[in-house]
Amino acid sequence: MTLPRLLFVTGKGGTGKSTIAAALAIALSRRRPTTLADLDRRLAAATILGATPAGAAPACVNDRLDVIALSARAELESFIERIVPVRAISRRMLRSRTFGYVTAALPGLEAFLLVERLRMMAGDAALQDRAVVVDAPASGSALELLSIARGVRGIAPVGTLGHLADNVEAFLADRQRFGVVLTVVPEELALKEALESAATLRERLGIAVVAAIVNRAPSALFEAAELAALGGLPRHASLANRRRSAHQFAAHARRELAAAGLRAFELPMLYTAAVGKREVHTLGRALAAQLADR
Amino acid sequence: MKPRAPDLRALRLVVCLGPGGVGKTTLSAALAVHGATLGRGVDVMTVDPAPRLLDALGLDAAGAGPHEVPLDRIKAPRARAACGAPKTRLRALRLDPKTTFDSIVARHAPSDAARAAILENRIYRNLSNALAGVADYMAMEKLLELSGDPGTELIVLDTPPASEALDFLDAPRRMLELLNSRAISLLGAPAGIFRGRLRVVDLAARAVLAAFDRITGLNMLADVHSFVQSFDGMYQGFADRAKAAEALLRAPGTAIVMVTTAEAARVEQAREFVAALERAGLSVAAMVVNRVMEDLPDEGEIAAAKISPALKRKLRRNRADFAALKEREAISLGALRATLPTGAALMVMPELNREPRMIADLAELGGLLRAV
Repeated sequence: MTLPRLLFVTGKGGTGKSTIAAALAIALSRRRPTTLADLDRRLAAATILGATPAGAAPACVNDRLDVIALSARAELESFIERIVPVRAISRRMLRSRTFGYVTAALPGLEAFLLVERLRMMAGDAALQDRAVVVDAPASGSALELLSIARGVRGIAPVGTLGHLADNVEAFLADRQRFGVVLTVVPEELALKEALESAATLRERLGIAVVAAIVNRAPSALFEAAELAALGGLPRHASLANRRRSAHQFAAHARRELAAAGLRAFELPMLYTAAVGKREVHTLGRALAAQLADR
Repeated sequence: MKPRAPDLRALRLVVCLGPGGVGKTTLSAALAVHGATLGRGVDVMTVDPAPRLLDALGLDAAGAGPHEVPLDRIKAPRARAACGAPKTRLRALRLDPKTTFDSIVARHAPSDAARAAILENRIYRNLSNALAGVADYMAMEKLLELSGDPGTELIVLDTPPASEALDFLDAPRRMLELLNSRAISLLGAPAGIFRGRLRVVDLAARAVLAAFDRITGLNMLADVHSFVQSFDGMYQGFADRAKAAEALLRAPGTAIVMVTTAEAARVEQAREFVAALERAGLSVAAMVVNRVMEDLPDEGEIAAAKISPALKRKLRRNRADFAALKEREAISLGALRATLPTGAALMVMPELNREPRMIADLAELGGLLRAV
């Protein structure tokens, strides 16, 4: 399937966003060089790939995959340095508390600049035929982040910022350049949040949702008739039931997501004591196979 | 000696902090219901609860004020006995930061004109909607209001999802600092709320800010100026409230409870939260690990059962799979225990395997919380 240049991975907290973003970056890097942009301060996705990006420089995972850490604060700093070219003055502004309060009172100036940075990354990636995967915040904050361009245009209709806001809005609405991937686990609340986010993104913000990935989907292992035979082993039966109902809920989630017009992928539940580099490569292979099928 | 778990019979305030998505709101509600089953007069304040939890607490989308939750459906015998205790009650309310902020402004504003000027100001509107810190501050504000209620013996406070632990506890101080800062003097505030002298550096910064305003097209300095002016005369009100909130957090009847799940990323975040609190001189009474798996069934049972060998193989495999997950969880719990500050109890809340739909579910959860 054809994917937009930049994929923005978000979902309910605890659905495995960072793991999925890392796995998706691995899957895409089989086709073309890929950059994973980690927006999380703790760099969870980068860490799972064994990369430690320092400052603004990307860190290499292998010759086809690198990781870069992005932060709203760093984007504000570079924006100020661009518009206030005298370094001594821009530095002083950034250090001043005053300035901190002024930016704090602005509705998400820093966050807006972060989205602007994603726009620039997608532009550069198009020139080099690279793919970009973003490990974004959980859906609540992510939706805020993606609707911020509108707010900025509202308060600054003219001037440098207003102009940037127009560009950012056009970028987010462009299916060639930008698309959201939603992460889901086989749980009612996670599914509900994904369906709601998809509706908000498409209807209110005009942003494309490329796919939903149902994570931690267990194999059924047991037939219904087998469960019925476990009357003498109630605790084993409960464990078996749990597995089978999660399996069924995952199938239900895929159907619901498809009914909402979303392409649904599935990643297996990994029964391992740790989720590290090896596990994320397993998931990356699973995603690559599903992407090739479509 | 193992640290003692916080005692809901004696505490006056429980503050639940933790990373997003760990079930803080459900845990807060469960603690509150449990407190009521122990016979106390409890208020629980939740932030952004899931619809089912709203149902369980009888809170609908419209209700802003405290709402009495009927306790007669809780089947626990202890609860029935306790219902006779004079103060026993449970009230729930959900925080609406914007409305709370507006009502504070209305309370502290020296005149109707000042109030209208603030509520209409662009900066105020942005500040009250967009700034995460405002929700934190408003939770504090509501907390003070509740703590003044004579029928309230215990308050359980759910906090807004935060990426930093101190965001919430630090909110009153930050709000004060905003109102009292040099920013205000710089932006041309009246002398009344300006403390300290303007320096040459600040004058230079002011000129730079003016340039920034022009280049970015924000035209907001004038708005900031009038915002600050309209707050003149309200500073003392805010300062008093902030001081009271600070004192309440450090009072002996207050327990700060850190909530997490056993997922590696959440554990890491919770540990950072605890360290940040310690640095700020605030101690955590308990670390609660939510949604902990139940103990695995005995493998030996499988051999003795009268079922097909194929089914036995499947049961063994299923048990081994869950054992791997249980091991993952044990690694996380071990890591948490190793870094827990002295005096803090490590507690677990077992997974219910279903969403709490009724008040009885919350009562059940509340009773399952245990120290490990």
